[in-house]
Amino acid sequence: MPNASEYDYKKLGLKCGIEIHQQLDTQTKLFCACNNTLRGQNPPDYTLIRTFRPVLGEEGSFDPAMLVEFKKNNLVLYEGFTDCTCTYDIDETPPFPCNTEAIDIALEIGLLLNVSLVDELHVCRKNYVDGSVPAGFQRTAIVGINGDIPISEHKNIGIELLCLEEDSCRRSGEKENMIQFRLDRLGIPLVEVTTAPDINEPEEARLAALRIGILLRSTGKVKKILGAIRQDLNVSIKGGARIEIKGVQKLDWIPILIRNEVTRQLALLDIRNEMLKRKLTPTSFTDNPLDITEIFQETKCKFVRNGVKKGKLVWGWRVPNMHALWGEEIQEGRRFGTEIASKMGSITGLKGLIHSDEVLSKYQFSESEILDIKKSLKCDEKDLFVLILGKPDRLFQAFEIVRDRLIKALEGVPEETRKALEDGNTEFLRELHGAKRLYPDTDSREIPISSEKLKQIQANLPRYPWEVMKEFEKRYKIPHESLEQLTLDGNLQLLEEILKVYSGKPTIIVSTLLETIKTLRRDGKEVENLKDSHFVRIFELLEKKLIAKEAIEEILAYLCDQPQSTIKDAMQTMDITSMSIEELRKIVQSLMPSFVSLIRERQMGAMGPIMGEVMKEVRGKIDGKIVSQVVKSEMTNLLKKEEE
Amino acid sequence: MPNKKNSVREPTGYRSKLRERLIREKIGVWSVVKVVRGNSIYEGVVLPRSEHTAEDYLVVKVDTGYNIGVKITDECKITEIGYQKGDYHLPEIDVKTKKELPNVSLLGTGGTVASRLDYRTGSVLPAFTPEELFSAVPELMNICNLTPKKIYSILSENFKPEYWVKTAEAILQEFHNGASGVIIGHGTDTMAFTASALSFFFKDLAAPIVIVGSQRSSDRPSSDGPMNIINASTIAGYADLAEVVVCMHGNTSDTYNLIHRGTRVRKMHSSRRDAFKTLSDIPLGMIDSKQNIMFFKTDIKQRGNTEDTYLDAKIDPKVAILYSYPGCNPDILNSIIDLGYHGVVILGTGLGHVPSDFFPGLERAQEQEIPVVIVVEPLFGYTNLRVYETGRDMLALGVIEGDNMLPSAAYAKLIWTLGHTRNITEVKEIMTTNIAGEITDRELNSGYLIMQGIEENISEITTTLDPNPKEHYWGEQVHKTEE
Repeated sequence: MPNASEYDYKKLGLKCGIEIHQQLDTQTKLFCACNNTLRGQNPPDYTLIRTFRPVLGEEGSFDPAMLVEFKKNNLVLYEGFTDCTCTYDIDETPPFPCNTEAIDIALEIGLLLNVSLVDELHVCRKNYVDGSVPAGFQRTAIVGINGDIPISEHKNIGIELLCLEEDSCRRSGEKENMIQFRLDRLGIPLVEVTTAPDINEPEEARLAALRIGILLRSTGKVKKILGAIRQDLNVSIKGGARIEIKGVQKLDWIPILIRNEVTRQLALLDIRNEMLKRKLTPTSFTDNPLDITEIFQETKCKFVRNGVKKGKLVWGWRVPNMHALWGEEIQEGRRFGTEIASKMGSITGLKGLIHSDEVLSKYQFSESEILDIKKSLKCDEKDLFVLILGKPDRLFQAFEIVRDRLIKALEGVPEETRKALEDGNTEFLRELHGAKRLYPDTDSREIPISSEKLKQIQANLPRYPWEVMKEFEKRYKIPHESLEQLTLDGNLQLLEEILKVYSGKPTIIVSTLLETIKTLRRDGKEVENLKDSHFVRIFELLEKKLIAKEAIEEILAYLCDQPQSTIKDAMQTMDITSMSIEELRKIVQSLMPSFVSLIRERQMGAMGPIMGEVMKEVRGKIDGKIVSQVVKSEMTNLLKKEEE
Repeated sequence: MPNKKNSVREPTGYRSKLRERLIREKIGVWSVVKVVRGNSIYEGVVLPRSEHTAEDYLVVKVDTGYNIGVKITDECKITEIGYQKGDYHLPEIDVKTKKELPNVSLLGTGGTVASRLDYRTGSVLPAFTPEELFSAVPELMNICNLTPKKIYSILSENFKPEYWVKTAEAILQEFHNGASGVIIGHGTDTMAFTASALSFFFKDLAAPIVIVGSQRSSDRPSSDGPMNIINASTIAGYADLAEVVVCMHGNTSDTYNLIHRGTRVRKMHSSRRDAFKTLSDIPLGMIDSKQNIMFFKTDIKQRGNTEDTYLDAKIDPKVAILYSYPGCNPDILNSIIDLGYHGVVILGTGLGHVPSDFFPGLERAQEQEIPVVIVVEPLFGYTNLRVYETGRDMLALGVIEGDNMLPSAAYAKLIWTLGHTRNITEVKEIMTTNIAGEITDRELNSGYLIMQGIEENISEITTTLDPNPKEHYWGEQVHKTEE
């Protein structure tokens, strides 16, 4: 396997593009009036079962990826919820008019990404037969093309495409021949940002994803929850092929996945060269597989024996001149044989592929069984054999897939869509979908974009977040990392709003928005219930010294629990209204001199008696917890002075 | 790419100024163009423009497969950089007759069992050739020797009673040619009307006539059409049934279809797959996704000798349907009489009532011997004009109680009856006698409560509908869908 640390990506001709999917924070879904919410792991209110089959594209041909999906022959079970899925979601009612709130957000993002906006949105269907959308297609429309975004001081990358589309279902499980999906996520509006393949270094891809993420979040109109933003990668090298990698959940995975994909493509090119050297051609793989189940009647290999008992067959196939090649590592811990087996398995659902480049002793085959296999398949030492266990109708298909994959190996890297794995590797997911799966949506009318609308959005366009960040860094001395995190959380605009009403130290704002929220979330509070207006109002009160900074966390905690309440309610409940923190502080300070000796003696242990005295004065006027915070801070001050 | 000079450029669907400009610049549909406007550049294939849309937009398919609309202003520059004609065809399939399989005919009247994109309106148009059908649903080849024939290509809302007759004649021809069953591919809007009419037209029917369609067009991966046609083919080829039935999805899942009697079925939802329901009764049976058939009712007419079947399709289509509602003006009834209609079906409110200011109109109808047949606006249940005074008055004015006939069945039946006689006594006699299940002598409790398709455990309920169900399992021999 090639060594990744030595790659010269320029020489290798690395080309990489990213696709970012970001859910929009609209009231309702894109084509129906359902709430834009998710239902977590709640049990579904109803279920239904569907099947799918491929259809022709607009220009009259099948998308090959759809044909492969169809071979999987799966039933699909959908789990629905009465509050956030309707008959539109289950493909029983035609679409309602497209959500104008979502269109406006998409246009705003389009202007920020500097794309040429289309004058008329045409809703298209992107066909899928994997079940992820009950209709068998996702409704999607191009909002703009040919934009760009600076990813550093020195480099801009192109934006090829900005689309507005409905999100698909969440996959929630799989049983034999039955895939399960949850319907709640379906129909949530999202924008898909596709960059040009302008990225030439793995780290650059991470940077681009970060930049686009920051830009989208800076609008304050996109969803912030986990899973609301998802990245896909497109990776190719010179002589290789375009590979789409789906399901990249963390930005830090991006450079690793790209490096590993480069490794895989290089390794596949090596295998191709070796195959050509061994004079293999597509016609080398024309042998038919043979039924050799008989050999395994008495086998010690448990899973073969159990399979055969259940009526499955073992078919064997000689692969001429391929000895040792299936054992070549093409990814960390994954061999060429694994690559072929996982593709075959993902399409047919069969799990048992065994080949002679594996350590066969781990299957507990006997020497004589192995000899019998080789004899019946007429394998010599240059050849390789493949065994697959399964029912006859599936076996035929399985060997077709293996044969086809070998023929493709003669060309090097086949184009495909792969799934990102936790360990930084990828595995076959499906064939690459092409333009043929797009079809005009006959249920939708075209949506003209008026120039008045554009002018209006243009007039209210936020500044680029990196400009705002630069300014804040300079003016308020807020650390760059904090600003970046605030922007990713979607709170940069909120920070700007608060700075307009609060003249105190910005560090309090930053720590409230970053640390306090984190603490509350860790304590199990529903921080999603906090609105931007809550924060602005709290800092207004802080500015007027009607509350102390110590009260912020408690007020927020209260609002998390009681989303219907106002800050006034919170303050009343916690007795914050009748006395300001400053007044309290004065009272505490006036009492302190009489406790100096006690504090010297008992240090913080003097807290109890002091609290008792202070509470006599302020009981009912202000929350005890705030009192204790103020007393604590005054005591600490005193002790500090003492030390000095 | 064909030579530019050899292919004519036609800007299909484009109008006014933009059309003139496209013709002038020799750009048409399937031209690959580059449109430059200021800093924006759009490249792609020009697609036809739908009618009823704004004039100055060019529809372009870009290379990712998406379509976009580009507003063409005077400052835009459009250049043709190529030509790329779309060619819509399904891969052809070689269909062989298998001796062991029954022969079934599929008569296409339009509808969405198979369909394709219509650029004129941007909606879908039916497409219907054997090749298209078999390549879309290859499973059919293992069920029966299916011969598709197109008899019309019309949307079902454009159906007329005359078409029922032509359809019936075509069906009879297929039976004479040895078909074990006939399937009618039909648009779903008026499917139930056709089903009713055919139910009256055939005497001594000896084999199934299965009417089928789809609620999701076949250009969608989720279409209900394939399962509907597969199940319809099984019924037509194998089921021991000699009636006109509708076979459509039983619930929203692709798990079973219900088999409805032609005179008792109604479309009850504008768009759901399980839109078709049997009203005031239970369906004849169900057929699951592996083509196992189970009958719920015991009064099903069984197969006989097709030579006995004959067609009695004399009709008089001069019949109107009138809906009784608060404030409906008797002018409407009077106009129907003035216009010389030969019969009227009225959907009366409740048990079948009309407002009392209709009485003079009813009296005129009585004098002119124009039959007025009353059915119930609630759709479920019987007429009864003896309970209230209004009803008794109506009876005195000669109206005919339609019992629990559905409006569509009453309409088709009156058209058929008037084709045979205009003698009011005879008409009344025929209209009040059950001929094809359109009137039942009793209503099961379950006929109202269930079969709306959304009840919980509907699948279990269907299996307990009849204490002695006649079960037929075909699935294993006929066709395997999974391991």
